[in-house]
Amino acid sequence: MFQLHGWEAALFYALAFLTLIMGVFVVTARLAVHSALFLISTLVNIALLFILLRAEFVAGVQILVYVGGVMVLFLFVIMLVQTRAEEESRVKLYTGQSGMAVAVAILLAGSFYFSVMPARDSFAPSDSGAASLIERGDRSGAGAGSVSHDTQQVGEALYRQAALPFEIASLLLLVAMVGAVMLARGTRQEKKEETL
Amino acid sequence: MSVLAVSAIKNLAVVLQNAPKQSWLSRAEPTLLNFMMLSFLLFVIGVAGVLSRRNIIIIFMSIELILNAVNLNLIAFSRYLQLNQDVLRQGRLPGANAMAGPVFTIFIIVVAAAEAAVGLGIVISLFRNRETVEIDEINLLKW
Repeated sequence: MFQLHGWEAALFYALAFLTLIMGVFVVTARLAVHSALFLISTLVNIALLFILLRAEFVAGVQILVYVGGVMVLFLFVIMLVQTRAEEESRVKLYTGQSGMAVAVAILLAGSFYFSVMPARDSFAPSDSGAASLIERGDRSGAGAGSVSHDTQQVGEALYRQAALPFEIASLLLLVAMVGAVMLARGTRQEKKEETL
Repeated sequence: MSVLAVSAIKNLAVVLQNAPKQSWLSRAEPTLLNFMMLSFLLFVIGVAGVLSRRNIIIIFMSIELILNAVNLNLIAFSRYLQLNQDVLRQGRLPGANAMAGPVFTIFIIVVAAAEAAVGLGIVISLFRNRETVEIDEINLLKW
């Protein structure tokens, strides 16, 4: 079965706690810049959780693409659209839908609880030795010097089974890039093009 | 101070590793269910942010939170499949592919990056025309 032991369990709880706290701060922060910094912290924590789940490649992609790319984009846009009123804390933070948001959250929590709790016992670790032996072997082999096969497996799956979606994703990125440039163009640039 | 903290963490790790199989301790060790709970709570925080905040950039960030919650769930299930592959192959899930989780996660990250780029382009264009990023004041399509 899938269960973390020892220091991994302690690390999971620490990371989960930090992730949730930072997630709440993302939603409740007054300034958008603070929100972005808390989101960076959340994303790094999630990358560490990926490493805990032995998905090193995805953790690297998470750090490179999210923290290195998307969040820099967010910070640039915040810099461009930051208003004086927001800094001086004169604006309302929440819409009138906060009550409904809480209601939806409670509803989702209830539905999750009642859908998962009947199956709770099947998640508990079984005492049969075979599965835990595999896991222990995996754990003892994952020392500092050992090589993880995760990247190799993900690469093979990407290029063999998901080759066509992979190419379509590159096309999507191209279209998004052109679209973003077109959308963010100023009126001055548009006029310049018309005169040409 | 930091040496003290490190030694305390090491002691804690040793205690946790050498602890006898007590029922409360082995029950507290995280399984797939705990990862699902974490991912779910992150999802709910994101949903609450999308529904309640006024700043459109923070709404985008909440969407990123939601997508990350989904990613975490996918990776946790992928790890679960990887560890139980032999059992599942013999049982009811013969075609279970543990690598589908990371592949899906990578595609979700790609789509999230494209979405952020286009969305933030729209935000810049909107700010240039309306001088605001508060969604209450952006009601051009509302009638």
